[in-house]
Amino acid sequence: MATDGYEAPILSQQLLLGVAEELKLPLLQIARHTELAQLNGNTDLGNVRTAAQMALQLLDNYVLGVRLALEPQHFPLEAVSVSSVLYDTSQQLDTFAKSYNVDLELSIAGKYGPVLANRQGLQAALVSVGAALIEAIPALEGPRQLKLQLATHRSRYGVIAGVYADTKQLSNEALQRGRRLQGRSRQPLLNLSQSNGAGIFVADAILQAMDLHLIASRHHHLHGLGTVLQSNYQLQLV
Amino acid sequence: MNQILLIEPDYVLAKIYKQALEADGLAKVTVVSGAQAAIMAADEHKPDMVIMELQLIEHSGVEFLYEFRSYTEWQGVPILIQTIVPFGEFQDNWHLLQDELGVRSYLYKPHTSLRQLLSSVREHSLVST
Repeated sequence: MATDGYEAPILSQQLLLGVAEELKLPLLQIARHTELAQLNGNTDLGNVRTAAQMALQLLDNYVLGVRLALEPQHFPLEAVSVSSVLYDTSQQLDTFAKSYNVDLELSIAGKYGPVLANRQGLQAALVSVGAALIEAIPALEGPRQLKLQLATHRSRYGVIAGVYADTKQLSNEALQRGRRLQGRSRQPLLNLSQSNGAGIFVADAILQAMDLHLIASRHHHLHGLGTVLQSNYQLQLV
Repeated sequence: MNQILLIEPDYVLAKIYKQALEADGLAKVTVVSGAQAAIMAADEHKPDMVIMELQLIEHSGVEFLYEFRSYTEWQGVPILIQTIVPFGEFQDNWHLLQDELGVRSYLYKPHTSLRQLLSSVREHSLVST
């Protein structure tokens, strides 16, 4: 077991507390949706299903993060197509984004070849960040468009996969401050999220468990959060 | 018809609360997600009541309250706090919110049903429905 003497951040009580707090929102939405349906006789339960699925998603991602930290041997690195992961991430977030009136876009042009990562972990981290930003974007005062872009591009450090929006609130400083305040403030990401930002910290923990890092980055004129992945050169030679 | 200014940062919840309040015929509801937008909306729509979350992005609900109450024409507007923040976390400052900022009522969002919200709005509404 790789945990001897090592207290992985994923296991922190602060993160667990954050996830518990964050789950109040979808549960609250479900409770009020059903009550409203009873009041006005609306039988469309699509919104209830979406909220429930995102609550389950948050739990799944948290559990995956814990398992990644505890049993890394069960989550081997593999050759992963970033474009494919981003596409699947967009599919997973699509209904949720619609419920928040946020347009999801994919920017996966360019051939970067496979990267070395654990596909399940990478996708869970991107879904987690994406869901957190989808919730936050409509509440931000700055953005002109309610749009979230899942994008990849090459930097001098490697291939970056990330989630980007038309807001300057996504910076490394905000992320660092948020990490310091996590568990000590109701809103560690004060300028970015009205909640405690658990989705972002869950993604942070999942990436850390895979020896990756959540960073602020830019894609064209958009600001976002993503991770730097190393190309799998060995496979490219084949 | 009464005008209600609803300050609710969650897009999904905002839609639910607006539908419930308007379906009941209680009021016309203007929804905003943040404090700055709330001041501008108040200027435009002249609300008869404000229902607000305290936990907002950038500027807190308390900052909004100070700004809002600094204008004489809005000093008598009833304000209901409906928030995700448990009462225990700000009960030491509750007298300030009540006495100085004129907050009429505190509703803990997870425990406040739509019926309870509607009932509270009726109770504090200036115009009987």
